[in-house]
Amino acid sequence: MGEIKPPSAAPGAAPEQREYLSDDPRDIGWVKQNVPCQAACPAGTNVPVYIREIIERQFGRSYETNREANVLPGILGRICSRPCESQCRHGWPGNGEPVAICHLKRVAADMKDAGHRITESLYSPTGKRVAIVGAGPAGVAAAHDLSLLGHDVVIFEREERPGGMLRYGIPEFRLPRDTLDIELHNALRLGVQIRTGAEIGNGEGRIPMAKLEKEFDAVLLATGCMAASPLPLQGDWEKRELRGIKGVEYGLDFLVQMHRGVKKTVGRRVAVVGAGFTALDCARVAARLGAQEVTIHIRTAEEYIPVTQEEIFEAKREGVRIKGLRTPVRLTAEGNRLTGIQFVQNRLGGWRAGGRRQAIPIEGSEFHEPCDTIIIAIGQQTVNDFLGTKLELDRWGNVRVGEDGMTSHKGIFAAGDYVNGASTVIQAVGHGRQVAKRIDAWLMGRERRKQVVRIVPVAQPLRERAFDFIPRQHMPTAPMDERMKDGDHEVELGLDDKLAFEEAKRCYLCNLRYQIDVDRCIFCRACIEVAPRNCIKLVHGVEVQEDGAYGRLLETKEWNQVGAIWIDNNECIRCGQCYKACPVQCISISRCELTEVEV
Amino acid sequence: MATAKNARHHVVIGSGVSGSQAADTLREREPDARVTILTLSSLLFYNRYDLPKVFRGHRDWREFLAYPAEYYKDHRIEVRRCSRVAGVDGPRRTITLEHKEEIRFDTLLVASGGRGYLPEELAEFRPLMHPFASYTEAVTAASLVPDRGHVIMLGGDMIGLDLARTLIDTRHRVTLVAGAQTFWPHEVSDEERPGLIAALEKMGVEVIESHDAGGIATIEQGAKGLSARRVLFKDGTELHGDVVMPFFGLSPSVEFMLGSGTDIERGLLVNPALRTTCEGIYAAGDVCQIWSDAEKRYRFFYGWKNVRAMGDLAARNITGGDEPWVPAQDEKLHIGSDGKIQSPFWEYH
Ligand SMILES: Cc1cc2nc3c(=O)[nH]c(=O)nc-3n(C[C@H](O)[C@H](O)[C@H](O)COP(=O)(O)OP(=O)(O)OC[C@H]3O[C@@H](n4cnc5c(N)ncnc54)[C@H](O)[C@@H]3O)c2cc1C
Ligand SMILES: Cc1cc2nc3c(=O)[nH]c(=O)nc-3n(C[C@H](O)[C@H](O)[C@H](O)COP(=O)(O)OP(=O)(O)OC[C@H]3O[C@@H](n4cnc5c(N)ncnc54)[C@H](O)[C@@H]3O)c2cc1C
Ligand code: SF4
Ligand code: SF4
Ligand code: SF4
Repeated sequence: MGEIKPPSAAPGAAPEQREYLSDDPRDIGWVKQNVPCQAACPAGTNVPVYIREIIERQFGRSYETNREANVLPGILGRICSRPCESQCRHGWPGNGEPVAICHLKRVAADMKDAGHRITESLYSPTGKRVAIVGAGPAGVAAAHDLSLLGHDVVIFEREERPGGMLRYGIPEFRLPRDTLDIELHNALRLGVQIRTGAEIGNGEGRIPMAKLEKEFDAVLLATGCMAASPLPLQGDWEKRELRGIKGVEYGLDFLVQMHRGVKKTVGRRVAVVGAGFTALDCARVAARLGAQEVTIHIRTAEEYIPVTQEEIFEAKREGVRIKGLRTPVRLTAEGNRLTGIQFVQNRLGGWRAGGRRQAIPIEGSEFHEPCDTIIIAIGQQTVNDFLGTKLELDRWGNVRVGEDGMTSHKGIFAAGDYVNGASTVIQAVGHGRQVAKRIDAWLMGRERRKQVVRIVPVAQPLRERAFDFIPRQHMPTAPMDERMKDGDHEVELGLDDKLAFEEAKRCYLCNLRYQIDVDRCIFCRACIEVAPRNCIKLVHGVEVQEDGAYGRLLETKEWNQVGAIWIDNNECIRCGQCYKACPVQCISISRCELTEVEV
Repeated sequence: MATAKNARHHVVIGSGVSGSQAADTLREREPDARVTILTLSSLLFYNRYDLPKVFRGHRDWREFLAYPAEYYKDHRIEVRRCSRVAGVDGPRRTITLEHKEEIRFDTLLVASGGRGYLPEELAEFRPLMHPFASYTEAVTAASLVPDRGHVIMLGGDMIGLDLARTLIDTRHRVTLVAGAQTFWPHEVSDEERPGLIAALEKMGVEVIESHDAGGIATIEQGAKGLSARRVLFKDGTELHGDVVMPFFGLSPSVEFMLGSGTDIERGLLVNPALRTTCEGIYAAGDVCQIWSDAEKRYRFFYGWKNVRAMGDLAARNITGGDEPWVPAQDEKLHIGSDGKIQSPFWEYH
């Protein structure tokens, strides 16, 4: 480990010749600005490093790099919502398609040695006890980190098995259960005690919260969003209870029951209402259960469905159809059996808070579509009645937490979907870790870890210009008859060695910082001539932001004003052309990566 | 004649029926304006519904052109061929072409039509099929079918059935694998369907209802010495033919409009005056879904008369008009007194 470098380094200063750690806000700011995938990942995964390790065929190391941020790489490598990919520099205008960051994560997990050993260093025991309610990704990630930090952790989970929505929501054809079991086991192997079939709540057979508060130093609530949102209907249907009607299912309950082992069936024509993960999964499950016609009805348009394009395509290949601009207003039934849905036609409106598109119903535009089963999957809500203690809620009914991750009740913390509303697995993992750190600070009375940047000189460009022209590699998938025959058959097969290598080469390795030593530069402009983009600029200054990080470049075309020749790392695609062209070797490359150190 | 200074720049994406008609009307209504057509096509505007003629031996592309090349010069319509629009920025009024060139516009008409839709479940067999949407594709398909050869037609939309008429007439064998898209864009009820299928059979088309055979299991290259293509159904039925041609209707070409500021459902959503939700941008032809006050929904209007009328209307509204869309053709599919299928979609001669 190196020493902490005091803030210094004027723009363009010669970089050090050896590896060091920096807590200079400009260096931390540089990484956050320049490695967009890492900044977008709620768990802060060090993407370029793990991709580079795949190129070096060090799959085990790549897996461990992932695991530093996210204890469930094999799982997330399959079902992550991929917020990083929409920010990837390779997908910026003019650069082509984003790197398949998620598929590469799976490569690291699947291709590591069978006997791969996990490396983790443990803190000495603190004697503090933490109870975690809920063994979903948020609870598991927090448990892992807290146990690593030396605390005594017990998870209480009401289902028979851990995993939360990973096990009871997401179907096996997207997430094989052996992958799930192994990673959960590894996450909890450092002495975390897990009590399944243990529901926290009031009444017969449940464990009251008060007991946890008494027996533990801190309690973390990670109970997710366990209630399916009701479908708002109109007229005589407004107040009617839907649950008893034959052919009406709530998507979340449908999947949870199925994964508990209840045999589920659907009619010939299935209508799914909703536009998220649950809706897509229910539709694909219905197709596997033998439905002849499966249609997802959405309020806005396909463009705004928050699941990946690949998943939408696979669902369509399985025969699922998507119809837009419609909201159900009534159901139709014969006796107690569903016969169809009456919809109203929508037009698109403005944007709602949270970046969702609005749908505005058009008066008098009702129409009817027949169906035998409706699966309602329009959202999920948190359940709070298990608490006994009153916690402050926000206006969406989610529990309110402070900066320190604590609820309005001292010693009770909360994380994951229980705080954020229905979100994503990686968000739950990231939040779980973040709150674990806060709990640790609260229990120990001080922060025990802090963020720094490791800066490592790199001897030569790690890429070839030709890599920039490799197209995104496609995920091979199982043939249709196999996937429909056995409903659990995994659909995505994973990139093979060759595809993985091609895909990994596409990554620009944005953590490489190209710098020009202005004192040695002879202003020959050779680098500018070979540059593929407007990445090397003549500047008369650089703005410094509030946090000390460098901001906008003040460019100039006037030679007498040129203060420096400066690489715009925002434009730079790390192709290495300039480095090779410079006659006086005044361009240097360093790798900058965020890491944590003990304090 | 040079274009006047400060004249507006009207850009049209697409050189199909609606784009070409719009350019013509724009020129007529605004003699000073700059009019540019951007198109993916390598040929100037030609009538695609004439394409079945290639199976009658017409293979010279000049025969298909709708206007002589001088027309564009005389009308001062600039046509940029082989130019793929990659993106549109509505608020900035710029178009980016695939090769990164940016083009400024004052008004934009999107008339990018549709491409042959292939149901996703058949996507993996795409390399084994021969589409029929452009002159080049038509010539390729025709060159693969020998005299009295056998064409396996999947889907059977009205474009395909039109070709089937020519194929039967030229003594080819046609087997139709019928399904939900048969007769597209006509909406055919369960009661009408058997009569229409019978009419097709009477015409000489062999029909297999895909659903009855359990759906298509796979499409393969035929073994050596046998027909070039083999279609296998889930119930074990097999078909052998020289080509497999998909005809599942069209799906709008809108991908380059994502993020442009215009609303999209399946097509570009427009009001009855053919305006999109982004100022200065209009849409016409197969790419747009028009709000219908009568039906209270957004819908497509197909058929060459409709498409041409849309191009004309959009151009009039771009140049100061404010008229609503009125369909220009009837939509009913029926069986004539001679027992043959008749569709307004086919009335182009
Ligand atoms: C069908 C479906 C598909 C999804 N697909 C994806 C996807 O592809 N990608 C993605 O990123 N996200 C997906 N999500 C969302 C994702 O699963 C959730 O955001 C994530 O699991 C939330 O994690 P969590 O730990 O906060 O809560 P959960 O995973 O919901 O876990 C909460 C746990 O708490 C337990 N619990 C609740 N109440 C009690 C109690 N009183 N006592 C004891 N235990 C209790 C529950 O049994 C559960 O195990 C999907 C969600 C669903 C429903
Ligand atoms: C083989 C065939 C036969 C047909 N037969 C009949 C018939 O008998 N009767 C009938 O009524 N209709 C028929 N049709 C349908 C009819 O052709 C269409 O309804 C009509 O062509 C639609 O016109 P359009 O102007 O909207 O679009 P199109 O004619 O489809 O033109 C679209 C134009 O947009 C261009 N384009 C698309 N994307 C881009 C991009 N990204 N950048 C730049 N340019 C782009 C294309 O190159 C093309 O020039 C047939 C179609 C086909 C393919
Ligand atoms: S190119 Fe690589 S490092 Fe850069 S944003 Fe994309 S995945 Fe991350
Ligand atoms: S490595 Fe050099 S030439 Fe390549 S993009 Fe970056 S600054 Fe430009
Ligand atoms: S190639 Fe080297 S010396 Fe020449 S201008 Fe670029 S940095 Fe300076």
